[in-house]
Amino acid sequence: MRGAIALLMVIGGFALQAIAYFFLAAPWGFPPSSVAHSNPRVPFAPLIFIFGVVLVFLGAVVYEVLPQRRRV
Amino acid sequence: MATRTQAEPLPYGIGRFGPLWAVTALVLLALIGLGSFAYTRQVMEGEIVTGMRDWGTMGGAPWGLYVGFIVYFVGVSFAGISVAALIRLMNLTHLRPLSRMAELLTVVSLILGAFSVIADVGQPLRAFVNLSRYARPQSPLFGTFTLVISGYLFASLVYLYLAGRRDAYLMSLRPSPFRWFYRAWAAGYQDTPEEQRRHSLTSFWLAIAILPLLITAHSTLGLVFGLQVGRPGWYSALQAPAFVILAGVSGVGLLLVIASIARRALAGGGGISLDALRWLGYFLLVLILAYLYFTIVEIMTGFYAGHEREQEIVRLMLWGRYGLVFWPSVGLLALPAGLLLLMAFFRWWNPPLLAVCGVLVNLAAIGKRYLIVVPSLTHGGLLPYGPGFYRPTWVEYSVIIGLLALGGLLYLLFAKIFPLTEVPETGKGG
Repeated sequence: MRGAIALLMVIGGFALQAIAYFFLAAPWGFPPSSVAHSNPRVPFAPLIFIFGVVLVFLGAVVYEVLPQRRRV
Repeated sequence: MATRTQAEPLPYGIGRFGPLWAVTALVLLALIGLGSFAYTRQVMEGEIVTGMRDWGTMGGAPWGLYVGFIVYFVGVSFAGISVAALIRLMNLTHLRPLSRMAELLTVVSLILGAFSVIADVGQPLRAFVNLSRYARPQSPLFGTFTLVISGYLFASLVYLYLAGRRDAYLMSLRPSPFRWFYRAWAAGYQDTPEEQRRHSLTSFWLAIAILPLLITAHSTLGLVFGLQVGRPGWYSALQAPAFVILAGVSGVGLLLVIASIARRALAGGGGISLDALRWLGYFLLVLILAYLYFTIVEIMTGFYAGHEREQEIVRLMLWGRYGLVFWPSVGLLALPAGLLLLMAFFRWWNPPLLAVCGVLVNLAAIGKRYLIVVPSLTHGGLLPYGPGFYRPTWVEYSVIIGLLALGGLLYLLFAKIFPLTEVPETGKGG
């Protein structure tokens, strides 16, 4: 269970980073100086990217600290 | 399972604040006070109190000492976590006592790096809000903030926290006023074989994850400069690898200093063997030689085939205004390289001399970081403006001194609350 949660956090973190990078932040394109290519598609997209980075490493803490469920 | 050690006092002088410690802490607090005062002047009067001015018509440099120290602090952080990760991945058991010092060095230097960013921007709050709202994750500048400040700092904190749980558990078994803290840190850890196996697995994967993050983070910081096509002196494919190598030089150097002091100050040498210092010495030597090679190649390329402005910057560094920083910096790299070569040749590794080498390479790294940032801004523009001028003011010097003091105080405080090296199970090192 603990391993599964940690793995989910790692996958979720990487997924968030990828989504924020490719779909929520300002799109790639030319000219890069245009408003269409410099404003993020979703406000605070960079924060979502950072949250993804943090989530990945938090997975390690969960894996180590979360107590194993006792077998009945 | 660990041996129970209830009756033993805390090891390595933890919890015992002597007069020397108190005096040092007071001096550091005074310096932090000076830095805080200078920063309040800057906040109240604006960046006009610094030596920074806009380039071009204002004839200045918008980046100066603060940015130089951002790069320096982030560079120092490199060695900490990379050494810790290498110890884990390559099973360098004789270096294990250095592991926590290295991790702590990373965390403290990244905190100082973040404070340097705050000191550099005129309106820190506005910077945080707008960076969070509008920044492009594709930008190297944002990469520096996310990868270095958030990812790298957070990863280092996680590494430090998880690696410290065993010692926190052992410390929580001994009577002390910090028992609640150790219990909270241990978070239920009891050093069972299952927990040891789990930690071994986690630290292995964390080390695997941190090493590429570390290379990316430092390269990204180099690319903030290296990708600026209109800025001779910066636009170079060597910027990113040179950043990584100089980061290693400053970080390993500082780790050598801290390890040498800890070896002398902690009972039983804190378990730090001469072998560990020798390994760091060899590592530092290789890094210095690599960086000197990079410097020679960079100078030769700029001077032999560089653009007119590129050649101007090289000329200024070799024989002009910046030669006063360049040559001492090169000398401060060459001298430790020579000393380390001699120590390696005669197989005579002297800890105080190694610490001196560590100090010298850090002074050199500060000089080189300054040279990376400033000359290209004052003399590297391609637009038809005259040369700029930059000289740091007392405000900038005071803020940086305050930050260095803060780093020292954080390190000193940690050393009095938590062991800097692994706690022996049998309670040695009291």
